[in-house]
Parts: sequence; C-alpha cells; structure tokens
Amino acid sequence: MPLLDIRDLSVTFATSTGAFKAVDGVDISVDAGEVLSIVGESGSGKSVAMLAVMGLLPPTATVTAAHMEFDGVDLKTASKRRRREIIGRDISMIFQEPMSSLNPCFTVGFQIGEALKTHLGLGRSERKKRAIELLSLVGIPEPEKRLSAFPHQLSGGMSQRVMIAMAISCRPKLLIADEPTTALDVTIQAQILDLLVDLQKETEMGLVLITHDMGVVAETAQRVVVQYAGKQVERQDVTGLFDAPHHPYTAALLDALPDRATGDRLPAIPGVVPGQGDRPTGCLFNPRCAFADERCRTVEPPRQPPELGEALCHYPLHTGEAAA
Amino acid sequence: MTDQTVTETAADTTRSSRSARRAMLKEFWYYFSENKGAVAGLFVFLTLVIVALLAPLLAPYSPDQQFRDSLLVPPVWDADGKAAFLLGTDAVGRDVLSRLIYGARYSLVIGLVVVTLALVSGILLGLVAGFFRGWVDTVIMRLMDVILAFPSLLLALVLVAILGPGLRNAMIAIALVLQPHFVRLTRASVLSEKNKDYVVSARVAGAGKVRLMTRTILPNCLAPLIVQATLSFSTAILDVAALGFLGMGAQPPTPEWGTMLADSREFITRAPWLVTLPGVAILVTVLAINLVGDGLRDTLDPKLKRS
Amino acid sequence: MLRFLLHRFGILIPTFIGVSIVTFAFIRVLPGDPILLLAGERGVTPERYAQLQELLGFDRPLVVQYWDYLWAILHGDFGTSLVSKQPVLDEFLARFPATLELSLCAMFLAVIIGIPAGVIAAVKRGSIYDQSIMTTALVGYSMPIFWWGLLLIILFSVTLGWTPVSGRISLMYYFPQVTGFMLIDSLLSGEKGAFASAVSHLILPSIVLGTIPLAVIARQTRSAMLEVLGEDYVRTARAKGLSSGRIVGLHALRNALIPVVTVIGLQVGVMMAGAILTETIFSWPGVGKWMLDSVFKRDYPVVQGGLLLIAAVVMVVNLMVDLLYGFINPRIRQG
Repeated sequence: MPLLDIRDLSVTFATSTGAFKAVDGVDISVDAGEVLSIVGESGSGKSVAMLAVMGLLPPTATVTAAHMEFDGVDLKTASKRRRREIIGRDISMIFQEPMSSLNPCFTVGFQIGEALKTHLGLGRSERKKRAIELLSLVGIPEPEKRLSAFPHQLSGGMSQRVMIAMAISCRPKLLIADEPTTALDVTIQAQILDLLVDLQKETEMGLVLITHDMGVVAETAQRVVVQYAGKQVERQDVTGLFDAPHHPYTAALLDALPDRATGDRLPAIPGVVPGQGDRPTGCLFNPRCAFADERCRTVEPPRQPPELGEALCHYPLHTGEAAA
Repeated sequence: MTDQTVTETAADTTRSSRSARRAMLKEFWYYFSENKGAVAGLFVFLTLVIVALLAPLLAPYSPDQQFRDSLLVPPVWDADGKAAFLLGTDAVGRDVLSRLIYGARYSLVIGLVVVTLALVSGILLGLVAGFFRGWVDTVIMRLMDVILAFPSLLLALVLVAILGPGLRNAMIAIALVLQPHFVRLTRASVLSEKNKDYVVSARVAGAGKVRLMTRTILPNCLAPLIVQATLSFSTAILDVAALGFLGMGAQPPTPEWGTMLADSREFITRAPWLVTLPGVAILVTVLAINLVGDGLRDTLDPKLKRS
Repeated sequence: MLRFLLHRFGILIPTFIGVSIVTFAFIRVLPGDPILLLAGERGVTPERYAQLQELLGFDRPLVVQYWDYLWAILHGDFGTSLVSKQPVLDEFLARFPATLELSLCAMFLAVIIGIPAGVIAAVKRGSIYDQSIMTTALVGYSMPIFWWGLLLIILFSVTLGWTPVSGRISLMYYFPQVTGFMLIDSLLSGEKGAFASAVSHLILPSIVLGTIPLAVIARQTRSAMLEVLGEDYVRTARAKGLSSGRIVGLHALRNALIPVVTVIGLQVGVMMAGAILTETIFSWPGVGKWMLDSVFKRDYPVVQGGLLLIAAVVMVVNLMVDLLYGFINPRIRQG
C-alpha cells in the first residue's frame, strides 16, 4: 500500500470573476522511500495539489477527491485536529522562497524547536540538543551559534537548510519540496538537491519534488508526473520518460534542456499555460502543440495505457517519433 | 525614428490622453463604487454641501433670530416640544435647526480653506525640498519635524493665543499644523519619482525645472496627496470645532458647531439636546468625509495602508 | 541597535533646539510690547517695567537672549508664572502625574481593546465581526471627543448617576500625594473607598481620551495582520501543524505589532492634544487644563514653558517607543 494515495483530486478557487479549476482529476501515489517528481510550468497547478494535501490552501479553495489517504489515515474524513497532528510531523513541506518562509521575528532555534515541542513534546534542553543535531545534519557550520541567529542574518541557501532542518525535525515519512532550489543561486541549488537526496536515502522517507526544471528531475527522481494546466499529461518512471516521452508536452520540455538541444538555438514552447479565461476546448495543450489537429481541438483526449506513459493525448508519441 | 514620426506620435498621445483620462475616471468610479461605505459617505457629504449652499432657503429662521418667549424649548419629539422649532431652541431662544444648517456652511468652508492653505503651502515646500535637496531640504524638513514635535491641537491653541481668538486665526493655525504632512508626502513622492525613466527622459528632452516639477512629477504624486487632503479635511473640521469648543475658535454668536457646543455646556442637565445635536452634526460630517477618504485610499493606492 | 538609537538621538537634538527656538520666539512675536503683555491687563508701574525688562533681558540682542534662554532651560529654569509666581517647572511637575495617569489608563484601554479587535477583524475578514469592528473604529476615529465626553457625562453621570462629573477623587478623601498617581496613592492611604472613588473618577476620562487611539490601533492592527497573514512564514507555521491560536497570536501578531508600535508612538502626541479637551471637560487637574487656563489668564511664561515641556515629554516618549520598536524588531536589534 502506498504511503500517500490520492485519486481524482480537484481544487477549485472561487475568484471574483468566477470559479477556477487549478487542479483537475489528479492521481498521486508515493511509496515510502520513493522520490516522485511533479513537473510543470508555473500555473500548471503542481504546487496546489500538494498544498491541498497539507491543508494549506486559503478558504477560497474547494478541494474534492475520490480518495485521499496518508499512511492509513483517510485525510478526507480526519478531523482538523487529527490532520494537524500529521502535518508537520509525518508529512512536512519546504517552499520556494526560503528567505520569506522563515519568521523574521524568531530565532532559528525557536522555529526548529516549535515542531519538536508541538508534536513530540520535547523539553527545552532536549529541543536544543535535537536542533543542534538537525542543523549539523543539514550542513550548517557552528550549529550552536546559529540557534540564536535571526533569519535576516542568513543567506538564501542557509535559510533553505534551516527550512529543511525544520521539516525533517520530527522524522517525517513524507517530505514535500516545492521548488526548493528555484530561488537560490545556481551553485547552491546543487548542494541543496544533494542534501535532500542524501537525507531521503538516509531516512527512507518519501520525497515529492515539485519543480519546473527537467535537469533537477533527471538527477533526483525515480518516478515523474508531468502536469499541464491542472491535469497530469504523463506519468512514467524517470528513465522511460527521458528515453521515450509520450506526450508532446513532455517532449517539448525535454527539448528545451540545454544539453539535449540540437542546433544553436534552444527550442522554446510557444505560448503560455492557459489560465482561467482562455481554456481551450478539446486537449488543453492543443494551441501550443505542433502535432495538434481538428480532433485535438474538439475532443478531450483519453488516458493512454502505461506502455505509453499514461499520456493524456490522442496521438501519443512513440520512441521513434520522439527522437525525430 | 524621424522627426516627423515623433510629432505624429506626440499628436496621437494628446488625442489618446483625453480618452485615456476618461477611461481612468471610469475605472476609478468602478472601483470606488464597489465600496458601499464610501458611496454612502459621498452621498452624505454632497447632501451637506447642498444644505450649506441652500441654507437661507432651507433654514426656517435666521440663525441669530431670538424668540424670547421660547427659551430652551426641547425638540419636537419631546412632550414639551413645539412644532415651530423642530430641533428646539437654545438659551436665548434661537432655533437650533436653523443654526445647525448655517453651521454646515462654516464647517465646509473651514475644511476647504484649511485644506487649501495646507495643501498649497505643503506641496510648494515639498517640491522645493525634494527638488533642490541640500541645505534647503534640510532646513525645510527640520522645520517640519519641529512642527510635528508639538501636539497639534496644543500648538494650534498657542498660535491662536498669539494671533488672537477667532475663526480666521483658528483656520490659519490648524492649516499650519496640518501642512507638514503634505510637505513630507510631496517630498517623498518627488524623491521616488525623480529618478524614474519618464522624468529622466523629460529632463533629457530639455524640460525646465519648474515644468518638470509641476507638469511631470506632480501629477504622479497626486494619489497620496488627494487621500491626505480628504483625511485632513475631516481633521480640520474636528480641530477647528475643538478650538471653538475651547473658546479660541469662532466666537459667539457664530453658529459654528464647536462654538455651539461650548455655549451649551452649562445646560448639560437642563437641555441635553443642545449638547447632543451639534455633536451629531460634527460626527456625521467627519464620518462621511472619512468614509470617502478610506474609499479613495483603497481605490487610488491599494498600497497606501495608512490609518 | 546602538547605531539606530544614535541615529534617532541625532534627529532628536536638532528638533529639540528647533522646538526651543519656536517657544523662545513665541513671546517675541506677540504683537505689542512683550512686557506689557506679560504684565497682563493690570498694567505695570515703571519700576516693575524696568525690573521685568532686566529680568527678562529684553534689552539685549536676540541671539544673546536665546542663548540665555537655552542655558536656563538646560538648568531647569523654565521661567516663572506671572499669576502664581511659582517656577513653571514646579507647576508642571505638580500637574504632570495627573495627565500621565490619565494617559496611561487611556492607552492601556486602547491597546488591550484595539489590538484584539484588529486581530479578530483581520482573521474574520469580511465577516459581520470585521464589518462591525471596522465601522465602530471609523466612528471612533471620526469622534469629536469633546462632545463624546459630554455625551458620556449626560449618560453615566447625569442620567444614571454612576460616575462623578469632575476631578480625580471625591473631596471627602484627603491624603498625602506620594507618587502623584491617584490610583496608587489612594491605595497607600488605606482609606476605605478611596481607591474605588479614584477609579470611578478616572474611568470616563480614560474612555474619552482613549477613543481615537483605540480606533487608530484597531485599524492599523487589522491592516498589518492582513498583510502578515498572507506571508510565506505564516504558511510555514501552518505546515508545521501548529494550532491556529499559535499561528495567529504568535507568528502573525508578533510581526504585525512592529507597525502597530509605531502607530502607538504617534498616538502619544495625539493624546497630549486630546488631554487638553478631556481635562477641560472633566476638570481634570493635569497639564492640559493648566495650559488652557494659562492661555486664558495670559500667563505667557507658563504657556511658553509648558509648550516646551510638553513637546519635550512627547519627544522623550517617542524615543522610548523607538527603543521598544528596536526591541521587537530583530532586524534592528541585531542589525
């Protein structure tokens, strides 16, 4: 049984101009010790799905799901209190902007100790001991000194390390990392990714890595979900995805990788992810797809079998075509 | 780009700027009208303006006319009230309703005069400070700090004590203590706008200093100034009424609301309506203006979250 | 933190000098002969005139006069009242505790009601609570407090007879002033009912003086909370599984308080202005009423000295608020 099992998850936001479906019929399952990557452009709803799992969406959002279970607990029926016990202890999350994700008014030590106190009921000295342990675990030098530091005294990379230390403080079973390296310098990005992967291996926790960077996916993930405009357009393991993408969108994303590009210009996907007002009929990707025909523009595409990457496409690509 | 296209585009801009302005006004009204409180405030305020303008037509009597046989008559809903005096009469037999109606004139004129004085002098000083920097800036801003260091009403009180009690001096004093806010706002906007591209390009195009200040920069600082002016309008009415209440503002028998309150203090037990009514008038006026001010603030500048 | 304080102090000193120049200039810009004005309507004998002229040094150059004035101030000499012949500083110190007690109580009310009200309004944004709190705050903010005081007197003193109309304590109690704070002195006196009497005298003036700060604090707290509640670190706190009480009351409020403290500091000056009105309405023997009385009596040295002393108090309080601001904002404390 998977650690996290979600089926047919949809999230709708009530906006001043009407309802907007940010996530549409998404299935996600993560096993213990597994790294799943969710890939997509901004606006594809990849973060929203995981925020829904965490219960972090604003009240304007409506979450529906056929099934939503974590570690044997039905999240749909669990009380708020029960969910709060799980959140921050068994599932934790780190975010894109480490600098603004730490509270500027409290010390690093206090913020790490909070989850320890709330979930594990540790006393003051135990909290301090564990916080030092965690800080050295995430590679922060002089952890005793850093405990009394305020967030504004830390760099972006340091802040993200502190965020990770906070997230893993209660030894979670699942860690959700929402674009953890996007806001960081390129040199720091690799360090933070390595840290996440190392920690994941050491602690055997599940890791959901949300990113828009195919390079990150290649380095870390075992399985990949490609999301577009709130829908999952392809689901594959990482080798299969990189060798033989079946959805034109996945193929286009891969073509945009610098080390895969042929010729001297980096191919880009024309256009943007459709928003609330401009959702096309038929396949959501059709306005930007090189292969789209009349059927794509009128009929919603079916889900292809696993051999074809469960692609949501009328004309899934085959290996030969993808290479062409 | 050739010279000809430049002039053509310039002509286009002037033509389109008029319709753009109309579109802006339309958009402004759309957002402003979303705020029901602000619209209600505007309605009350406009009503007050009409009442003030038409005071001689609306008021049943002259504000100074004394009915010696009808002293301290309570309002009409009281058992002892008389239909002739809807809101009763004061200690010398003057009709309270008529005095309140004429009082609206005073309050609105007070607000208008004080805000105009403070706004004009504040904008001038702020533009000068922000534009010339250096010692001129330092002197002006330190002077504003000094004015702001005093509790406003206290400083106004002392100023009136020097200048002599009276409505005119009260207005000058209040304008003086309100004006530093405009100076600071204008200067801050000038400093932040000064280095923006459009100002630099205007300067490169050869616009003179005065033109830069008044034509290029000032219109872009207007939003916070309008909001501040509206809020100062209500502060001016309140503070001048307070000075009137303390006996340093408008002098009796002027039907100014604060002065009316001061006159009626001794009748607080015998004729409570004399105390209640002018206060209600002040509160409603100030509240209406503040509602409009809040609405303007939210519409014009969502980032401007002052209170 | 030190640099921050030095910076604030650096602004304070020129401001104080400016304030002293203004108060110095005050008597000189009065139209007419300042000595005749000082002497009031009774006029002066020629001997008294010469005496005053020498005493006040009006025959010397302005710069010298100002220097002497500043020198005297720095030595605690703020002039002498023409009416009571007492030093202005002594008169001020005798009345200041009454104003301070009233202001502290008013600010206490404003803070303990205003901050929770603002927090509730922000958390329940758009609800009926939010709407009624914000409407009430706007009415409070627009309130002519001199009228509000009279209204409360009509209701609670005249109609219901619950509270006294004026003064700090009932005349039946007499005890030595130890601290100058009636609440404390009445307790120290051990007289039965004295404390209750002091409280009942203090309550209405505190409400009146606290109304505008209360409204301003509630409005500011709400807008600061709304901003903070949308911040990433609040989401982080939620992601930790903390209770909503802890998220709102600790993580969000702690940050929202930073701008609120600034606003509280600005209200001190507003309260000093409000004290003139409040003390007048309730015959509260504080510095506000003293100033107004002196204006009416044309006791110009008192007006001059009082103005300077009150401005100095406001500046000192603002410096203390800056300290507090630095203390609650780690960026400045550790900066």
